[in-house]
Amino acid sequence: MKIRGLALLSAVVVVCLLFLTLQTRGQSYRAADALAFVTTPVQTVLARVNRTAFGLWSTYLDWKNVRAENLRLREEVQRLRIAGLRVDDVVTENGRLRRLLALQERLPITTLSGEIIAREWGGWVRSLTVNRGRSDNIARLAAVIVPEGLVGRVVDVRPGSAVVQVLTDPASTIGGHVVRTRTPGIVEGDPRGTIRFKYLAREGAGIQVDDVIVTSGVGGLFPRGIPVGRVRAIDDRGSALFHYALLSPTVDFARLEEVLLLVGEARQDVAAYFAIDG
Amino acid sequence: MRTLLALTVFGGGIAHATLAPALRVAGVAPDLPLVVVVLLALRRGPEFGCLAGFAAGLLQDAASGGLIGVQALTKGVVGFVIGAAGGRLRVTQPLVQVPGLVLLSIAEGMARFALLKLFQFPAAFGEVMMYVVLPQALYNGFLGAAFVLALAWAQSFRDRAA
Repeated sequence: MKIRGLALLSAVVVVCLLFLTLQTRGQSYRAADALAFVTTPVQTVLARVNRTAFGLWSTYLDWKNVRAENLRLREEVQRLRIAGLRVDDVVTENGRLRRLLALQERLPITTLSGEIIAREWGGWVRSLTVNRGRSDNIARLAAVIVPEGLVGRVVDVRPGSAVVQVLTDPASTIGGHVVRTRTPGIVEGDPRGTIRFKYLAREGAGIQVDDVIVTSGVGGLFPRGIPVGRVRAIDDRGSALFHYALLSPTVDFARLEEVLLLVGEARQDVAAYFAIDG
Repeated sequence: MRTLLALTVFGGGIAHATLAPALRVAGVAPDLPLVVVVLLALRRGPEFGCLAGFAAGLLQDAASGGLIGVQALTKGVVGFVIGAAGGRLRVTQPLVQVPGLVLLSIAEGMARFALLKLFQFPAAFGEVMMYVVLPQALYNGFLGAAFVLALAWAQSFRDRAA
């Protein structure tokens, strides 16, 4: 066994050395050709198998990458959507502030802008709290407006804030008149969260749906001509002394973010500074 | 079984040139036929190791386009030596097999370098050792460990199934 092994090893060494010697003498091509006759077809097949296997593997990797990329892109879309919403919000806020600033600049009355920091929207009280107060020289009963019209009046002034009673508050009453007919009356809030125009029957015969009601300026609290609401329906109470017109407020109180508080003299007619049609 | 062994040796020898590049890590490719020859020689003895090494090396020489006989000689000798030593050493332990495979790879590399030097091989010994032989020997060691573990796992699986 041992001798056979050594004989085999010797044979291998001799054959190899023979090969090497033949090659150094320039006669390698015969041995190489004979081996290539065996190896080339096998290598060709192996190369094809290799290519196919790696093709499948790279297809799998591509699929995996596409999946990972898909997940990444989904996350990016989500992130961009949120960013887009933020941008929309900023654009909306920018638009609101621009309109508010434009109104502030063109009004002949001194105003102070304020941001709404709290809302009380229960049936008993409807009010807003703004971040302007005693230190900003805000006076009690000062009018609060936005580019669309009247919001309400300040009913409580605190050191850094003020509480605004909005028009829809059940306790809110302000003097107003119909732009088209000049019919005077009182705009009242009601517990349902709407506003109505109370007027003397004999003076309001001509009031129609869609008529615009503005502040009358009577009493000197509010400037004259600030839009309050638009007639939505008329409650004709026959022979009663007062009739009512249900109004749609010109201001969307639920969406208010910033307001202007009047701090100056409030005697002028400001109707020209608001967009009133009708 | 013999057919399978023959296919392993011959296939490994030829497949090396085709498949080994796919296993390259940081530019280092393993010497698959050497790993196969060593593992087979440990199980089957020096004669089988010698023949397997000779055949695999010869095919590797032919497939790679180098001097025919260099790897046939080195691998044949390595196969014989490890097959003969396998009976005397406790080479069934992976902790012996893996460093042994690294050392054998280095020895085979040095023998190949010495043989090639006889035929005016131009590269310097230090460079060949640093950039070819040692990295390949380490890779062979890791690959051998993986083979050994896979074989042990397959064996235990077969025993459990039986």
